[in-house]
This record gives sequence, structure tokens and C-alpha cells, in this order.
Amino acid sequence: MNQRLVPVGHGGALTRRTLITGGAAVIGGAWAATSLAGCAPLAAAGVDQVNQLAFWHLLSGGDGIRMSELVDRANGDNPDFLAKQTVLTWGPPYYTKLAMASAGGRAPDVAIMHASRVPGYAPGGLLDPWDTDLLAELELREEDFPPLVWKKGFSGDKLYSIALDIHPFVLMYNRDIAESAGVLGSDGKLVGMTSPEQFIEVAQAMQQVTGGRAVSYGYLNDGAQLWRLWYTFYLQQGATMSLPEGGRIEMDDDAAVASFEFIRQILDDEIATSKGDYATAVAEFTGGKTGMFFSGVWEVPTAQAAKIPLGAMPIPTLFGTPAAYADSHSFVLPHQNDPDEGKRRDTYRFVSGIIRNSFDWAAAGHVPTYLPVTEDPGYAGLDPQADYVNIAEIVNYDPVAWFTGSGSDFQNVFGQNLQPVLLSGADPLEGIQGFRTAINRLLSKPSPV
Amino acid sequence: MTTSTVSNRAVASAGPAARKAAGPARNRRRSTLTGYAFMAPFLVFFLLFLIWPVVHGVYLSFTNQSLTGSGGQIIGFSNYLEAFTDSQMWGAILNTLWFTLLSTVPLVLIALAMALLVQMGLPAQWLWRLSFFMPFLLASTVVSLIWAWLFNPSLGLINSFLATFGIEGVAWLQDPRWSMVSIVIATVWWTVGFNFLLYLAALQNIPDQQYEAAALDGAGKWRQLFSITIPQLAPTTVLILILQVLASLKVFDQIYQLLNQAITPSTRSAVVYIFETGFTGYRFGYSSAISYIFFALIIIVSLVQLRATSRKSL
Amino acid sequence: MTTDVITTPKAPLTTGARGSNGTGHRPGEKSFGAGRVIAFAILIVLAIAWLLPFAWAIVTSLKSETDAASSASWIPENGFTLGAYSQVLAEGNIPLWTVNSILTAVVITALTVATGALAAYALSRLDFAGRRTWYIAIVAAIIVPPQVLIIPLFYQALAFNTVDTYLGLILPQVVAPAMVFILAKFFDQVPIELEEAARVDGASRLRVFWSIVLPLSRPILAAVSIFVFISAWNNFLWPFLVVNDTSLMTLPVGLQTVKSAFGVQYAQNMASAILAALPLIIVFLFFQRQIIKGISTTGLGGT
Repeated sequence: MNQRLVPVGHGGALTRRTLITGGAAVIGGAWAATSLAGCAPLAAAGVDQVNQLAFWHLLSGGDGIRMSELVDRANGDNPDFLAKQTVLTWGPPYYTKLAMASAGGRAPDVAIMHASRVPGYAPGGLLDPWDTDLLAELELREEDFPPLVWKKGFSGDKLYSIALDIHPFVLMYNRDIAESAGVLGSDGKLVGMTSPEQFIEVAQAMQQVTGGRAVSYGYLNDGAQLWRLWYTFYLQQGATMSLPEGGRIEMDDDAAVASFEFIRQILDDEIATSKGDYATAVAEFTGGKTGMFFSGVWEVPTAQAAKIPLGAMPIPTLFGTPAAYADSHSFVLPHQNDPDEGKRRDTYRFVSGIIRNSFDWAAAGHVPTYLPVTEDPGYAGLDPQADYVNIAEIVNYDPVAWFTGSGSDFQNVFGQNLQPVLLSGADPLEGIQGFRTAINRLLSKPSPV
Repeated sequence: MTTSTVSNRAVASAGPAARKAAGPARNRRRSTLTGYAFMAPFLVFFLLFLIWPVVHGVYLSFTNQSLTGSGGQIIGFSNYLEAFTDSQMWGAILNTLWFTLLSTVPLVLIALAMALLVQMGLPAQWLWRLSFFMPFLLASTVVSLIWAWLFNPSLGLINSFLATFGIEGVAWLQDPRWSMVSIVIATVWWTVGFNFLLYLAALQNIPDQQYEAAALDGAGKWRQLFSITIPQLAPTTVLILILQVLASLKVFDQIYQLLNQAITPSTRSAVVYIFETGFTGYRFGYSSAISYIFFALIIIVSLVQLRATSRKSL
Repeated sequence: MTTDVITTPKAPLTTGARGSNGTGHRPGEKSFGAGRVIAFAILIVLAIAWLLPFAWAIVTSLKSETDAASSASWIPENGFTLGAYSQVLAEGNIPLWTVNSILTAVVITALTVATGALAAYALSRLDFAGRRTWYIAIVAAIIVPPQVLIIPLFYQALAFNTVDTYLGLILPQVVAPAMVFILAKFFDQVPIELEEAARVDGASRLRVFWSIVLPLSRPILAAVSIFVFISAWNNFLWPFLVVNDTSLMTLPVGLQTVKSAFGVQYAQNMASAILAALPLIIVFLFFQRQIIKGISTTGLGGT
């Protein structure tokens, strides 16, 4: 079948333009009330001689606004290409669309994926690998990234994703409340805590100040939130989880139960509510009603906007082993049947431009991965971002399998099985057993990628 | 070969065709050629985009084909065996049947009520038609955008309306107890206009004489409604029921769009599950198997309906 | 709207004829009794319930984002504004998607009706080997839900390399066995004498079809076209699957898929919804009778 009959993609500008002109005339009447000026950029875009790069991502809200600024800047610095971003709905809809586009071979030139999702894409040929030599030429070298993060981009011996950031699950705190409770150090940081008991003591001291609760944490009907906190404490016990294809889930039940027991201890309706949902937790902490808040760093800007005296730190090592849960927004090359060499090169330059100028990305709460950025003397002045920049050394992503990662079924399955433990006091072992069964079922299926 | 006529009407009008069939073989060949010349454009599409996918889908259902291009080996009945023990699939099918029941009843009754009321000849006819039918012209996406906004727990019109009566609103789409009901409400608003039009058209085909005769016999309006109107509408009701049940079984758009990332086990419909398995989970082979189990269900439901309605009309 | 009286064997659908002349209500309903008052009240309540979502969407679309996100009030604090509309139009996607929607719906309708009418004519009038088999196959195919074919159809699009092309978007939507059935049923009812006379005069089949049958079939062709057009205009699932390139998306797909980088913007959402709804609603306002007739005729299986 001859596709050239209907030109698509970037070569088809002429036909598209004709079409738009004609179409605009047809619908013009319908919009007599409003300006048709909106059509102008479309028509103009076709005339440009520069390479148009299609860039897909799933960032909206504060992240989206900052990403737009980074894209504008990269475009401004490189007049010979123009990256145009398309924002799709976060989560399953985004990953479904991205996979379909890649399978179809006419994918966008570049996209952002969660690093944890890459194992579900790369082996199936949905992604094209990065050329590390060309990246090095553009100043993106292995030594410019934290080792754990750079390594995460590999599948086999090929690099499939380059992380722009890591966004860990952290502990935020309200400095005023901490100070009144006597748990703020002279350096303006929350005192160190090295055991669950210590954490409870700090929380109880804060309760004296707030007269209500001490900790905000929302997990209701949100498997991802429950997973992030539980997995942190699980990892801190030195436990691991692995999901061998065709095998059975390997995890440490004792550590799993201990992690739950501790979370349940916090969610006792005194220190924190046992029925918190995401939005309520954000509102509670940003409203100054609690002193501590378990959440992702992407809520840092929200808390800053609420003008509370915000501090943030990696979740303290309460169980002996430093560990943090995180994910990364990573650049990938969705598979194209017939990539245009010139455009591929511009894509590399675009990605390099964004990553090398990602200082401002820290304002979104994320930790930029490009070491020259975080080692910049100015970065130490970012409060509270500078207080968790070193978390890159202890990050853990989701266990690797084709069905895990942010916005995947894995975290939902976890939530569905284990929410009852916190909500109605069910036996953690029972919940873990349900989770095991569900995951083993997924593992027994052959990987479709 | 006798000329087989496909409908009763055609018997009367198939004269020339019948005469030709009896003619010489040469004529017959020529008319076959003409026939296929007329049929060809349609058949190209029919074979390529309907028959072939139906056949190929059966083949795929016996493979482990993946969206990514890997797999593709024939694995026998594994997909079907897996499906029969897949509680998610049965859950999705039960949800679909539940949705069909919940939506069909109001979609028929409200449409009938609307048509009967409009047919009374009250003023502002165009306004009623416009109000009830206009939503049908909207794309599902537009309907979902509007209803997601109406259902919004804190800013939505519905909860703020309830609040004026001191009723505390619910999280319509998020609360598992209400999400299916919410989808049904949006669906009824969207598509009732179609059934309404069919009823209206059928009402206008009832001869006035029947009412006149009944009125002479002293039958009141309620009596006329139940002794003339409703029975006369029976064939239309049967048709609407069949169309509606088939349409409701295929529900996808509203659920996918209104719930987006929050499709729960209690709101996942059969087509949503087919979509998720195939495109989110990449499992083309398994998804095809589910498609055919679902297809079998549709055929069974249609046969049951056919039997039930033919018995009734006998 | 006069020709159909001659051609349709059954009484034509006279939408609004009885009601709109004001006096023609059913015999026995001449009094303005309590029943009619109650009926009128119910109708008004129903109509309000059905129009309210539109009204609310329009009002929201005319608010500023701040007002839209602050309360469910009908009168915004900061007054009404067209800001949301100019924002949405300035982004440029909606005009582009509208063009795509018009293009695909028009092509689909033209191809469906043209191929369908030819096939229906053959099935109804021509005698050819396998006619009965094809007829049965086509009628049986009516029951096949397109939704169960999404996997093989997408696989096919991958194989033909038509994912993200207009071809891949349009062609699979051009199969409508139900429309062939309706048209064939109609042709069965058209008196054959005119055709026979023309045939005797030596006119070819195609000529007879073109200059005699088609003109007689205008009402049913219009009905089928309207039905197919509305279905194609609003179709979501297939276009959603086969198109990933935002510049190829139709309105329903684009609105669902592409989000604003600035997060959920309620007023802009509603402005987009209104703009997407507008073309078909305007067409409807102009051709209300024809559309209502077309939909009910087709829905009732062509009778």
C-alpha cells in the first residue's frame, strides 16, 4: 500500500497546509465570534525549514510549566530545530499510547518515560538505543551521572534511557512546628532519627505542638503511595525483592511485615489518620496542621507555594540500611522504522540541551541527575532541594519486570491487596500472601515484550 | 438453481431476475459478471476489514502474539484455558451485563415517556426534540468532558445542587459504590434521544382511526394508552431493546474516558478489558481469545432475545 | 421533502407535522385538562434536565480559570470572558482536529454510501451466482461488533504500515453491512417497471442505477448518509487506536488524548468541548427535520 498518497509526518507539510487552509475556510463561520488567529502558527509551522521534533511527555501542572520553559530554552539555543511537546494523560493512557506509537513505527522523535518502565519496553524493540559515543560528544558521559542512575538506563549492554532527574519519596517537615517541639537542630534541620522508636518520639513531640496529628500521609485508593513508603522501610531492613520471569516472587516476609507494622503504628489515628487520601494529606500538611509529611519531592513546590517553612530530607534510616525509593523521568527514543539521520542528531542535541540546563528543573522538587548541575555552587543554596540531593547514592527503583514501574498494574495490585491491612487491621501476612499470588500469576505468564 | 429471494418484498419484484435465471448460460454468466461488478467495491472493504479480521482474530487467539511483534507461536488452547480461569475477565463480563441491565431499562422507559409526552402535541415541539436529541450528536469525548465536570466532587454542579438541599455529595466517579451509576446516568443523557426518535416515529405511524374508534367506545386516555398505543409500539420496543442491549454490551468510550486512570475491578467492562489486555498489556493473542469469548456472549444474548421476542409476537 | 411521498411505500415520517401545527393532537385530547398540565410540567422538567449540562458547560467555558476552579456558581465573580476560547484556539489543535474530523467523516460517508448502494442494488436486483450466500454473510456480519476486531485490525494496520496515516484511519471504518441491508430492503420496495422500461430501451445496468434508481432513492440515501456521517464524526475507538500523531487526530481522539501542560483547566476543557460539539449542532439546527428523519428511518431499519 502506498502511503505517499496521503503524506504524513513532516514531509507532508504542503498537503497539510492546503488542507488546513481549506478546512479553516469551512469552519471559519462557526468561530466568527472568536479570533481565527490560532490557525496562523499551524500554517506557519509547515513553512519552516528547521527540523521539527515531536516530543511526548506526561508532565503537567507545575512540572509541565517548567518543562515548557526547558523546551523553549533548548529551542532558543538551537535555531535549527524546533521541538514541539505533546502532553498526554499521566499513567496507563500515556504508556499505552507510547507503546502503540512505537509498535506502529511512526513514533515521536523523543519521549519521557519513567526509568522503572523501561524494562517493559526495551526488550520488545519498542525503543531504539542511544548511541553513547554521540552522547559523549554532546557532553553526556557516564561520569556525569550518579552511577546507580546511569546503570538504570541499560538493558543488556545497550543504553535505552537517560535520566533527567530522580524524584524520590522523602520526608518533608514544617520547621516552625519542629522548632516548637524541640526537634529542630541548630542547623535548621530536623534531628537525626535512627530507629522507629525515635521517629515516634519526634512525632509525639510534634503532636504536643499541633494539638492534633503529627504526620500526613495519603494512600487511600492509591497503590503507588502505599508502595513507595512501604518499600522504603522494607529496603531499609536490607531486604530485597526480585521478580524472575517464569519463576516466583522472592521477598522477605519478616521485613515485609515489620514495614507494615511500623506504618500501622504511625497511622494510629493519633499520629496520623488511618484513612488519609492523597489530596487530604497534601492539604493537611500545607495547611500547617501537621509537622511531617511523607510524599514525593514533586509536592515540594506545592508546599513552598503554601508558604510554610519547609524542610525536606531523605526518609531517615530507621532500620539500619540507608535506602530510598525513587523513579526517574528519562529520555527515550521510541522506535522508528526509518529514522531520519538529521533529525536523530537534532534529537540528541535537544536532549543534551535540556539535561545540561536542568538547574531550573530542581525548582519542581526533582533532583537533576546531571552532576555538573547539582555540583554547581549555586545548587547548595536551594532550600530544601540541597538537603536531599545526595539521595542519588541510595536510590532504588521498582523491582525489574515487564509489568512493574510507575503507573503500572504492579503498584495497583499491591494497593488492592494491602490497603485492608491499614484500613481495617487485617493480618499483614494475609495481604502479602494475596500480593504474592497475584504477582506469581503475572510472572507465570510469558513476558509479552 | 431456483432464484432464492431474500425477503418477502423481493419475491414480488424479482421478476426480471427470475426470468433471466431461466435463460441461456451465457446470459447468466453475463449477469453474474454485472453482479460482481456492482458488488466489488463493497466486497473489497467487506473482505479486507471485516471478514479477514474475523478470521485472523481466531488465528491470533491461538498464538502468543505480542503488540511488540515478538511471540506469534501457536500455543493451542492456552489462551482460552487461561481466560476461563481469569477472574478479571469474568468480572469484566459481569460488569458489562450489569451495565447493560442498568442502562437499558431507563433508556427504554425514559425514551418511551419522552415520546408519549411529546406526541401529546404540547406547544414548543422543536424545543423538546432539540433538548432530548441534541446530546446524541455529541462525541463520547465531549460527553465525558462535560459529565466529568458535572460529577466533580467539590466543584461540580450535581454536588452543589445537592448541597442546596443539605445533602452531602459523593465522589461520583471515584467512589466504587457510585461509579457505575454515574456512568449509567451520563449514558442515559447521551443516548436516550436515539430511542426517543424511534418511538416518536413509531407513534406517528399508528393510525388515528384506532383512537377514534376507541374514543367512540368510551375508552379513556389511559385505556387507549394501554390498549392501543403500547401494543402498537411492541415491534418498535422489541427493535429498540435489541439495538440497546447490543449497544450497551459494547460499552467502552464513557468508561475509559470518564474513569481514565481509575478503572477499577468494579467498573471494567468487557471491551475495556480487551483493550487493556491487548494494548496496555501487549498480549494480542490473549486479548483475541477474550474478544471471541465476548463475541460468543453477544451471540448468545442475541439468540436469547430473538427467541424471547419471537415467542412473544407469536 | 415532497418526493418521498411517492417513493416510500409506507407513510413518510412526518416529524413534527402533528404537533407543530398546534391543533393536530390526538383525537380525544382536545381538552386542556389537568393531565395536559401535568404532562407539560414533566416535559419542562425533563427538558431542563437535558439542557442543563449544556448550559453549565457554556457558563463554565465563559468563566476565568480562577472562577471556574473556585466555586460552582452560575455568576462568576470576575465576570464573563472569552479567554478560555482564545487560549484553546491559540494552541491550534482544535482547528486542526476539526479539519481532520470533517475530512475523515466526509470520505467515510461518501465511500460507505457509494459502495453500499452499489452492493445493495446488486443484491436486490441482479441475479448472480453466490448472491444468496453474500446476502446471508452481509446480514450475519451486522452482528459482529467492531470492538471485538480491534486486535486483528490493529495488527493489520501494523502489517500494512498504515498506523498513523489517513488510510489507516479511514478505510477500516468504511464497512457498514447494516447500511447495505437497509438499502437493499429499500431497493426491494422500489417499483421495477421504470427500470424495465429503460432496460428495454437499451440502457446499461449502471445507467439505470445512476439515472433512475439513485434519484428515486434520495431520501433513503440521505438518511443513510446522515447516520453514517454522525457515527463517523463521533467514532472514538478505532481512530484512538490507529492515530498517535497529534496532527492526524480527530476531535474526539485529540480531546481525550492531548492534555494541557498547565494541568487541568476547567474553563478551557469546557471551551474545547463546546467548540468540538459546535459543528454538528449547527448542522443539526439547519437540517433538524432531515436529520431526525434520517436517524429514525435508519434506526428503524429503513422502514
